[in-house]
Amino acid sequence: MFLSFITDLFQQDFMLRALIAGIMLGVLAPLLGTFVVVRRLSFIADTLGHFSLVGIAVSLFLTSLGVTIFFEKPLYLGIIFSVIGGLLIELFRRSYNNFQEISMVIVISLGAALSAIFFSLSKKTGSLYNYLFGSILTVTNYYIILILITAVIVAVLFILFGKQILAVSFDESSAKFLGINVNLFQIIFIIMLSIVVSVLLESAGVLLISSMMVIPVAAGMKLGWSYKSTLIISIVFSELSVFFGLWLAYSLRIPSGAAIVSINIVILLVVAIIKKIVLKQRISKLDKIQ
Amino acid sequence: MQININNLSFAYGTKTIISNLSLTLNSGDYLVIRGKNGSGKSTFIKCLLGFNQVKSGMIFYDKVDITGFKSWTRFGYVSQSFDDFNYEFPITVGELLSISSIKKTTESERLRLLEKMGIFDIVNQNINSLSGGQLQRVFIVRAMLNTPEVLILDEPTASIDKQNKEFFYNTIDDLHKLGITIILITHNDDIEILNYTHLLSMYSDLTTSFEERGVELTEGVL
Repeated sequence: MFLSFITDLFQQDFMLRALIAGIMLGVLAPLLGTFVVVRRLSFIADTLGHFSLVGIAVSLFLTSLGVTIFFEKPLYLGIIFSVIGGLLIELFRRSYNNFQEISMVIVISLGAALSAIFFSLSKKTGSLYNYLFGSILTVTNYYIILILITAVIVAVLFILFGKQILAVSFDESSAKFLGINVNLFQIIFIIMLSIVVSVLLESAGVLLISSMMVIPVAAGMKLGWSYKSTLIISIVFSELSVFFGLWLAYSLRIPSGAAIVSINIVILLVVAIIKKIVLKQRISKLDKIQ
Repeated sequence: MQININNLSFAYGTKTIISNLSLTLNSGDYLVIRGKNGSGKSTFIKCLLGFNQVKSGMIFYDKVDITGFKSWTRFGYVSQSFDDFNYEFPITVGELLSISSIKKTTESERLRLLEKMGIFDIVNQNINSLSGGQLQRVFIVRAMLNTPEVLILDEPTASIDKQNKEFFYNTIDDLHKLGITIILITHNDDIEILNYTHLLSMYSDLTTSFEERGVELTEGVL
């Protein structure tokens, strides 16, 4: 079964497209995920995903009215709405400085409500399932180009501002003594995150975006000894999840996003268990020496 | 850098924490702020750093009002608890220092600073594996990376054991000798071993006294 999967991977166009998209997203998701986790904003991707869904719903609604200029591809408006959602989170975050999670609850609620309204108005509630759970196996060449453009934008922003974004993420209050314009970098980060979340939405779905960003990082943190090593380990776990997730989805005919996330969870559990066993062994060794 | 504080008052809601505090510090001064918990020491520092918005009184840096002051890179700040810092995510000392320098510091410069603080050997260690004392020194190195004119330390010895305190204060003396203005918050019991030039005492009843070492009490504001 595994061999036929490998053969199909390179013979079937849709499989190859899924693999290419998966590999690129497998890097992008944990890369942004590390920043999200450092800033203790693990739910932000979910929130942005819900707001991106509003854009998709509005786009479908406009299409149903016959307005197709620019909005023809729902993902475009999804990206725009995701950025708006990100900026709203920043706005609310400043009003509730000590209760940052409140800002996300407000935006996620608004996102869910507006999505439901516009999906209902567009009379295309049937497509909701795809947007909630995504499918990497149905991605088009066009979508792959979109991920590639996103990856280039993220790479350029990281080369230019990665150090500052990391400094703000680790310690916001000290950033001003480093001459960093904190507000500007918050906005650059949130825009970058919003774009990546929207792009992830098509393949992972609203409900699984956070998982693809955060779970590989959660596993990477258990093994990493530095920021760099944690990031590399997270990306490796993420790529393993994409590959074996695709295999699982192909073999069992189950949704690909769900399969990828399930593998992510399995990796996290295995890492956590192995780490616990190793730690116990070390402690008992030390006890014996003493 | 000259620091002028005129009739500074600060309140959290209706609770006044600082009342009519005035003092002047010149470049190269070493100010120690002492007082019990709740006497307003940290609140005062937060006013100085612009974290607390001053509504009554004035703070000037080189005659520039704090509300229009932009050159914060001239300050180095080491907070008491680093509450805002995320310790749990892995990052080595070396990585932290490399993202914390605004000028192009070379690795050898960073290592030299670590050596000066006696923590050269922990450069590749994960931040979350360090002791409180090591962490304090890492944050001082971080503050020093950008060669600040003023170094502000909020209870820097809070998590350092007694043996290391003296070494730590000697390092602060060395920095002071380099011409850096030091502002240090401490508990009363450390005052004997500090080579400060100015002392600000803050009391829970909102009174303060500001004196220059070797000079008679110059100010006592009620």
